[in-house]
Amino acid sequence: MTNRQTAISTSEGAILECRGIERRFGGIVAVTGVDLVIQPQEIFGLVGPNGSGKTTLTNAITGFYPPNVGTIRLAGEDITGTAPHKVAKLGVARTFQNLALFNGMSVLDNILLGRHIHMNPGIFHTAFYWLTAKREEIENRKIVEEVIEFLQLESIRHELVDGLPIGLKKRVELARALVAEPQMLILDEPMAGMNQEEKGYMSRFILDARAERGVSVLLIEHHMDVIIGICDRMLALNYGEMIASGIPKEVVKDPRVIEAYVGGSHG
Amino acid sequence: MFYRLSGVHHANYVSDSRIFKVPADRNLAIFVFLFGLAAPFLLPSLYLNSYMLPWLIWTAAALGLNLVTGWAGQLHLGYAAVMAVGAYSAIHAARFGVPWEFALIIGGLASSVIGSLFAFAALRVKGLYLALTTLAMQFVMDWVLTHSPAISGGSHASLQSPTLALLGQDITSDTGYYYVAFGWCLLVTIFMLNLKRTGLGRALVAVREKDFAAAILGVNSFYYKILAFAASSFIAGVSGALLVATFFFLAAPEQFSVAVSIQVLAMVIVGGLGSIIGSYLGVALILLVPGLVNGIVAGGSQSLGMQINVETLAHIPNAVYGALIVIILLIEPLGLGKLYGNIRDYLMVWPFDQLRK
Repeated sequence: MTNRQTAISTSEGAILECRGIERRFGGIVAVTGVDLVIQPQEIFGLVGPNGSGKTTLTNAITGFYPPNVGTIRLAGEDITGTAPHKVAKLGVARTFQNLALFNGMSVLDNILLGRHIHMNPGIFHTAFYWLTAKREEIENRKIVEEVIEFLQLESIRHELVDGLPIGLKKRVELARALVAEPQMLILDEPMAGMNQEEKGYMSRFILDARAERGVSVLLIEHHMDVIIGICDRMLALNYGEMIASGIPKEVVKDPRVIEAYVGGSHG
Repeated sequence: MFYRLSGVHHANYVSDSRIFKVPADRNLAIFVFLFGLAAPFLLPSLYLNSYMLPWLIWTAAALGLNLVTGWAGQLHLGYAAVMAVGAYSAIHAARFGVPWEFALIIGGLASSVIGSLFAFAALRVKGLYLALTTLAMQFVMDWVLTHSPAISGGSHASLQSPTLALLGQDITSDTGYYYVAFGWCLLVTIFMLNLKRTGLGRALVAVREKDFAAAILGVNSFYYKILAFAASSFIAGVSGALLVATFFFLAAPEQFSVAVSIQVLAMVIVGGLGSIIGSYLGVALILLVPGLVNGIVAGGSQSLGMQINVETLAHIPNAVYGALIVIILLIEPLGLGKLYGNIRDYLMVWPFDQLRK
């Protein structure tokens, strides 16, 4: 496979490096032989039809379903099979396809939870709030407020997340991921169900997040216009295998990608 | 009305992270605090001792259960057993000659250790299965208490509590007992109010709501579940010890039976999961309403000249109190705390409630 070479590229200084990832569920092979290298400050697209293994791959990276075969390195450090909460501490943040905000909490509290890994919550901090926790809470609040301003969430910060429209919920989730100050940001279909205008906003936020905060992004999307518009490189999966990778404009012309998405248009 | 938001501005984050952001809330809290402080001079000692004191101690205990059930979302049906561990450890320590201050802490820590064992069950099972597991542990505790004379105090299975003494002062008066209960309830309440605005509270809610999403934010749900059980058990242990030291004066296994576990859970659920004021109201309803209804029924029947036999008289309060619980939960499944919140939200915009979102 010649295309594979471009996806592998050089692993020197890569922020995320996956080699030969395979994940099986019983007899079903969800992902096999996937190589993926993401360079610092790169926006990397991951596409594929439903069930092609995109989410399984992100779950392998974030530790929910450790790969059966293969290694995952974050900034050179082997994180294969590390528990999700430890992966988070190492600097990986993600959003979920089906949203995973905490209902019953305000937007502000949800985003503050993103600061968890930078805080030191405990019984004594809570009991003696005025001695220790107060300063910590205020300091982290300042950082959260920067992101709230960045994502234009000021007007809803004290509202409960339960009743927000989906576009805003996705934005709150992005804010929660960003305040963790991750090295690697994994966005699982951040624009699902959005209209053209909302998609435009979200794309702009992702580009700005890279420009201002220097994050690397792994972006899973079905909207090809977004992938072509903002991704530096991309990888296409089908039935858990890599079918094409490289510069988005070229990958989307690949006959195998077209076949996987629309089913043999080159007939 | 009353709870007015206009003119309340928070110009910095310190002010925005206050416990009571609305002046009316703060004033109400100060009023309740002052009333609690002055209660011994306002109320006859009978009311003070048989209503106010148990109310405060059970509220502290219910807040502890609320921490683990309301915040961390773990059903707990063995809470009375954890209280028993604290009560018996503290009293044995005090009888052994340990000063009461340390005896209470020993009781709390012993409860923490045993209570954390419950947490290990919570890490494996959830929901109804956890309820059943904790219930089983309650029965084990009951059995151990009734079958080991060394713990429960001989053939009568009762253990005399030595005279309570704090900071070198023997506490023997009703007023003294009341202030001990008041102080403990105040401490627990402040802890819970702080929990609402710190990372620990947020992490617990995260574990309750979506543990996978909590994990990806770096929240170790294993650790926080144990922490929730340990903290709540500490509160349970000290509350149990104080209950015996200031109210029962004699520890007996049936004070911490499975029925009591269910009663505390009822207090928390009727009051409202995750609501602090709800715990106060829930305890009041479960603890005080039966007596109140009893008084009303007895007084009413007497003044109307009706002859109600003793058995009916004993059943009516139970029926009324059961019906009250059902009615309250039907009106507002989130309990009395939410009911209070609804009234407060309504008053906040009254008379301009058409402007409400």
